[in-house]
Amino acid sequence: MTKRIRSKIARGSGELAILSLLAEQPLYGFEIAKQIGERTGGALKFTLASLYPLLYDMEKHGWVEGRWQANHAGRDRRYYRLTPGGRRQLAPLREEWRTFFQALDSLAGVSHA
Amino acid sequence: MPDWKKLVGECIAPSALPSASHNEVVSELAAHLEETYEGALSQGLTEPAAVALARQEVSDWHVLAKEISRAKSEENYMNNRTRSLWLPAMANVILAPGLLMILQKLAVQPHVLWIGNMAMVLYLPWLITLPLFGAFGAFLAKRAQAHLVNRLIVGLSPALAVVGAFAVILPASLVIDRHLLTNFPFAYFALTICNWILLPAFALLLGTLPFLRQPNTLARTEA
Repeated sequence: MTKRIRSKIARGSGELAILSLLAEQPLYGFEIAKQIGERTGGALKFTLASLYPLLYDMEKHGWVEGRWQANHAGRDRRYYRLTPGGRRQLAPLREEWRTFFQALDSLAGVSHA
Repeated sequence: MPDWKKLVGECIAPSALPSASHNEVVSELAAHLEETYEGALSQGLTEPAAVALARQEVSDWHVLAKEISRAKSEENYMNNRTRSLWLPAMANVILAPGLLMILQKLAVQPHVLWIGNMAMVLYLPWLITLPLFGAFGAFLAKRAQAHLVNRLIVGLSPALAVVGAFAVILPASLVIDRHLLTNFPFAYFALTICNWILLPAFALLLGTLPFLRQPNTLARTEA
């Protein structure tokens, strides 16, 4: 698999991960990265450099919206919440990834590996 | 503790980002580094190790600044709604009536259909091409990742523009000529609406329909 394809799959999976998390509650960047790492057992890991370009891109597409507000420690953080457009994006994105993994499974038996 | 904001500000020059978003981006990235650093300290790392761990979040600041700039610049230049709705709709609203005007200039004769004593003027060559305009607009909107409703609006935009024009012209005409409704019976208005709104809308819809499927976002991310 070329680096280009790997990076595109990573980007697509990153979008799905972020949209799924924000569908539950608004979070700021550090929390998004932390929760993705924790909830995937470290399989998916976002650094600052990989997270923010993706977040800003998703904001540009109107899927998420960032707004400054104080966190539980009273510090100002930019919280991202899912927009109606992002919510509409989530279902087909989930379906596409499900189809993608089913196709990969039928080809390579990845779910039994 | 390092001054993370200063560090990020030095790594991402003001010229690297649109001025409106530079401060905000620097503050946000600095806050992220600060929490990474504090998290590392709370896990028992020494201060130099915590600083090093936080710094590992970005391997190449130049690349990061470029990627953020790309995202932010496009956002400032043209927002998503403009790209996915207004521009394709405007193109469609200009091009479809534009073709009708060209046909009229070329003296293409309309087909006149008589319904009782009322004439329905049909520019059949124009009506035949309208599905292409519907398809063109919906394609542009879909390419800009417009959701289903916006794709439909863009596809039907030439007909919707006529609805808008009627909504302005009709009340204005009634103000100017109070006897308008007496002089022109309801059937005449119904025929006009059918001729200039419903028929074109139907033709546009035929072209729009194939583009109303959900977008292939996985394909988009791989494009």
